Amino acid sequence: MDRGYTLGLLQKMIGEDKDFRPGQWEAIEAVAIKKQRALVVQRTGWGKSLVYFLATKLLREQGSGPTVLISPLLSLMRNQIEMAGRIGIRAFTINSANKEEWANIEEALGKDECDLMLISPERLNNEHFLKEVLPQISGRIGLFVVDEAHCISDWGHDFRPDYRRIVRIVQMLPKGVPVLGTTATANDRVVKDVQAQLGPELTVHRGPLARESLRLQNIRLSNQSERLAWLAVNLPKFKGSGIIYCLTVADTERVTGWLKQKGFAAEAYHAGDDGNMDRPALERAFLNNEIKILVATVALGMGFDKPDIDFVIHFQRPGSVVAYYQQVGRAGRAVEKSYGVLLSGDEDDEIQNYFIESAFPSTRVFLDILQELEKNEGLSLYEILARVNTSKSMAEKALKILEVDGAVGQTFDKKVLYFRTPNPWVPETDRINRVLDLRRSELAQMQAYVAHPDCLMKFLLEALDDPNPVPCGRCANCLGKGFSASVPHELVIEAENYLKGAQVIIQPRKQWPVGLFPDQKRIIPLELQNSPGRSLCYYGDAGWGKIVQTGKYREGHFPDELVYAASHLILDLWKPEPFPAWVTSIPSTRHPNLVSDFSTRLAKSLGIPFHPVFRRTSEAPEQKTMQNSTMQARNVVGTISIDPQLPSGAVLLVDDIIDSGWTLTMAGYLLKVNGSGPVYPFTLAQATGRNTNG
Amino acid sequence: MTISPDSQAILLLCSHIGLLSNSEYSSLTLKEWNPLAKKLQSISMRPGDLLGLTSEEIQSQLGINLEEAERYYHLLQRSGSLAIELERLASLGILVLTRADQEYPTRYRQRLKESAPAVLFYAGEKALLGQPGIAVVGSRHLDEAGKACAEFVGNSCGLSGLVLYSGGAKGVDTISMNAALTSRGTAVGILADSLEKTIRNPENRAAIGRGDLCLVTPYSPGAPFSVGTAMGRNKLIYTLADYAIIVASDAEKGGTWAGATEALRAKWIPIFVLDHPNMPEGNKLLIQKGALPFPHPFPEHHLKLKIWLEEQSATIKPDPRQLSLF
Repeated sequence: MDRGYTLGLLQKMIGEDKDFRPGQWEAIEAVAIKKQRALVVQRTGWGKSLVYFLATKLLREQGSGPTVLISPLLSLMRNQIEMAGRIGIRAFTINSANKEEWANIEEALGKDECDLMLISPERLNNEHFLKEVLPQISGRIGLFVVDEAHCISDWGHDFRPDYRRIVRIVQMLPKGVPVLGTTATANDRVVKDVQAQLGPELTVHRGPLARESLRLQNIRLSNQSERLAWLAVNLPKFKGSGIIYCLTVADTERVTGWLKQKGFAAEAYHAGDDGNMDRPALERAFLNNEIKILVATVALGMGFDKPDIDFVIHFQRPGSVVAYYQQVGRAGRAVEKSYGVLLSGDEDDEIQNYFIESAFPSTRVFLDILQELEKNEGLSLYEILARVNTSKSMAEKALKILEVDGAVGQTFDKKVLYFRTPNPWVPETDRINRVLDLRRSELAQMQAYVAHPDCLMKFLLEALDDPNPVPCGRCANCLGKGFSASVPHELVIEAENYLKGAQVIIQPRKQWPVGLFPDQKRIIPLELQNSPGRSLCYYGDAGWGKIVQTGKYREGHFPDELVYAASHLILDLWKPEPFPAWVTSIPSTRHPNLVSDFSTRLAKSLGIPFHPVFRRTSEAPEQKTMQNSTMQARNVVGTISIDPQLPSGAVLLVDDIIDSGWTLTMAGYLLKVNGSGPVYPFTLAQATGRNTNG
Repeated sequence: MTISPDSQAILLLCSHIGLLSNSEYSSLTLKEWNPLAKKLQSISMRPGDLLGLTSEEIQSQLGINLEEAERYYHLLQRSGSLAIELERLASLGILVLTRADQEYPTRYRQRLKESAPAVLFYAGEKALLGQPGIAVVGSRHLDEAGKACAEFVGNSCGLSGLVLYSGGAKGVDTISMNAALTSRGTAVGILADSLEKTIRNPENRAAIGRGDLCLVTPYSPGAPFSVGTAMGRNKLIYTLADYAIIVASDAEKGGTWAGATEALRAKWIPIFVLDHPNMPEGNKLLIQKGALPFPHPFPEHHLKLKIWLEEQSATIKPDPRQLSLF
């Protein structure tokens, strides 16, 4: 059980000619032989997984129990379970997506036929896992591995409340159980903090971060259309495959659509599709080079390991050096030359600031949720949303933090119920502000990076406290040359038109929100639902979005170009069947003429009459101030009334911006109840909750 | 939250945490733990010293057979899942006390000796466990006199600074406990089941939050109700209090009867039984067996309750006995 023996295992695993990378044996020895607690800080691709696979193997041969590996990233798990099999390590994962395999896994555990169990941090608070799965291991945890260990620290770039729970568990583990934390990126402050929390005996194994093959370049192009054009010009210059990172789900879809239109084999990858996207299939296709370009959000996880990535292009600027380095570091693991090009534009700061602003629920949300839970034995998420005016995602974030803080617990009685525990809770305003300040300084550091005139790699390494930062001699600044920032004007116009021609579909609502009409069925009868509708654009986005924004809040008037764009969309692209016979619009007392004036002009351009059949009975607060479905729908009920004498035929129902969709659902319902034909909603813009989804 | 190695070892050996119901190795009963605890003491070992030993080492150091040593070894191997489950319980507001902890209630040690539970789970103010107070016991189904008495005792306790001890179940327990809490007093509920669920009740939770209530159980916090555990729990109510008042009992059957006769035999504390014209048959029989009658309505001012109980029971002196076994 020494270095030579372990090297033999390693060679069996990855090849006869291979040797340990510097630091690998030392880390294995620390946990598997000396039974220590160790933190490994090594760049992605260095081979952290080899360390815990080999350590697991050695420990199992000594008769230890299975390894428990905690990782927040499912894409990591899929890759690694396959890899573990190569040296006969039987690894299993238990997650909400593989329920059908649980029984088999539990059986394997019972027979001690599982060597490594991969779980997400959330599992540690799951009753089934604690009562049925963990006891199968009989608690004989041989090695406790915490992946992405930088999350333990508030100073880490990735705030995950669940990691506080992991720290408490590690603190309660007896001394004899070895613990291994791994991370690709942790600066000195984070390392010190992790050490403080996991115990002073934690040994730190730290390696150099620089990637020899990577050529960095920064290019600033203000508009999305310019950046789209740049991609179309420059992507053919790369031989192999690559990743384009975007900040939002909508941007990945937009970029993908453009690239497909320009003939590239590109696919979007994100977690924003309610889990409908087959991400494992996309990963496989990308690994096999069937997809040349993956256009991804950060959902393309840290552990995703494809050695032959030639380029990583950022369509927008990431929020921190750590995030950027992790993403760009996917390129060039096993290729001689690779490129990391950071495109930055006008919208970057706006989006990043939005992320920072919406990172935490306000203190009011925390306190309101607790107050409602205190009055009850248990409430479902929807019951909470019917009582607290906050968005679903904010409520979920608040509940997660409250749970980790021990103020709220979860139980299951046909559905998940949240309840208040007797533990006291005070808002951690200082802690939250500290994290927000950190985010702002990270953002400032990225702003400095894109403007940095000297070696880009050295800038990154210094920011990450690399032990030996030296100029790379390969980046565009060191070489004094790189990809050209200029793009042909015609292509920019084409991209501009692409952005303006995108159709955004409005899906009809099929159910009333929970608790809106307590004594009615929630299902909206099919014959009283709207037909699918269209929006011209996403509010505030590139394309028409900015013009709608200026029209609504600055000019108080929507210009004729929006009328033409809308009628072009309706007549030439959408072509609803049967075609609407008349137009009506949602009334507002706040801006009485804004929408009706636009609708009148649109009706004229479509050659059909405009009939204002709705009236506001009272002015509701602006819909966007309502934070969730129940609140929004309640806000509409009873504030509009309809003239029951309706013209006949299908109707185009116009509003300026669709947010929750409840106003249009309610208005369409009133039209249908009063005997109208099909109702087609149309809005100038769709509001965007900036959706990144992890 | 931290936990001492001794407590950790006791939890691993004596509790079901992280153990499957069909596991090859079952946790130790009190009858099995006590001799082990004595043996450890006799060779100057602490329970925590067992952690990290191989089964062979356990065998040779304790001088026991290998089969027994294997069992201890396997139970002690669960420290990983114990850590995870204790963390979850703590986040729900549930903590543990073992016989190795200083804060473990002295009254249990003294009065129950070796039958003091090795492990207690609790939520709320643990300092209440064993403070001067009165236990109220009785069946779930009560007549009017029983209800009035339960409420009276709860109120008096609350107003005179005594802890109200009860089983935390429906009926007499809840009535007396709520009476004590609403008169700004304190209460302890010794539960036979479902600690996890009981603390979700908004009134209980609020009282725990104020530091006025402690709910405690020797059973797993998630355990469902069973007759057996309810029986085993009875003595834990009596032995925390200074006096017990039995509000209503069936004759020769049921948990109240079993607990009351056990308490009368053991003479831990003076036992009173509600005495009124329509009292249940069980009450009469308990008085015949030596329980003291407790009149209804109470003839004195409510603040005099403790003095009255003291006077009435002057003849009965429970003898305190010292014992320190983990």
